[in-house]
Amino acid sequence: MPLLYIMVISLSMFTIGIIGALVKRNALLFFLSIELMLNAANLLFVYFAQSWGNQIGLLWVFFVLVIAAAEVAIGLALIINLFRQKQVVDVDQYNDLRG
Amino acid sequence: MALAGVSFIQWLLGAMLIFSSLGVILAKKPMHSGLFFLLVLLTLAGFYLELSAQFIAAVQLLIYAGAILVIFVFVIVLFQDAHAQIIKYASRCKPLWLALAAFALTLTLVAVVFSLTLPPTVALHTDKPNFGTVQSLGIDLYSQFFFPFEVASLVILLAIVGVIYFAKKES
Repeated sequence: MPLLYIMVISLSMFTIGIIGALVKRNALLFFLSIELMLNAANLLFVYFAQSWGNQIGLLWVFFVLVIAAAEVAIGLALIINLFRQKQVVDVDQYNDLRG
Repeated sequence: MALAGVSFIQWLLGAMLIFSSLGVILAKKPMHSGLFFLLVLLTLAGFYLELSAQFIAAVQLLIYAGAILVIFVFVIVLFQDAHAQIIKYASRCKPLWLALAAFALTLTLVAVVFSLTLPPTVALHTDKPNFGTVQSLGIDLYSQFFFPFEVASLVILLAIVGVIYFAKKES
């Protein structure tokens, strides 16, 4: 599989993730877009690990999975807590810290 | 063009990946976004198998699709009524600026990709007999990456404690 092909796919997935994170107003979908970006990076990690015959890239994917799991647990708990306080999942309404 | 060595199944996987990640951000209902994300994960597992990283493909399905996505779907279901009320609030962002920003971002990434001097053909080391197997990954993980591994367990412990703290109701 050529590098250009994987790179175009991974970068377009990453761009879709960024656009989703910028555009989405639902806090959960905003979070899901961040997961898309993490997965795009993972794909490149696995490809480079494969093409250089070096397993360290696979181990990095492993650690990214661990961080993603911890991040999702904490992030969703935060969103549920915010929802309890404001009764809204719209990120535009979470503006208590705005000066 | 440098895309000569892409097999049919890889074209299929790539098209499915782009389609389903577009589906994540374009689907009308949040539950559909979650299901499109499941499709993204399955396709990525296919890519990992194609790159002969079987263990990562299995872990991807177990942890991402089996644990992370299930939490997501639980919370999406929990917020069932809240999703509909988002449209009651006016959006703060102008669609024109959003489109411009997305276009600029895509253009930047395309420029980055085509300005890279890529090696003409990267030989895939699929001939290594034990690349990506559980055994050789475990040897690397427990010798070279032992400290990060322990730190990862600490991170998960901290996440558990933090989530319990957040979820606790003030009495």
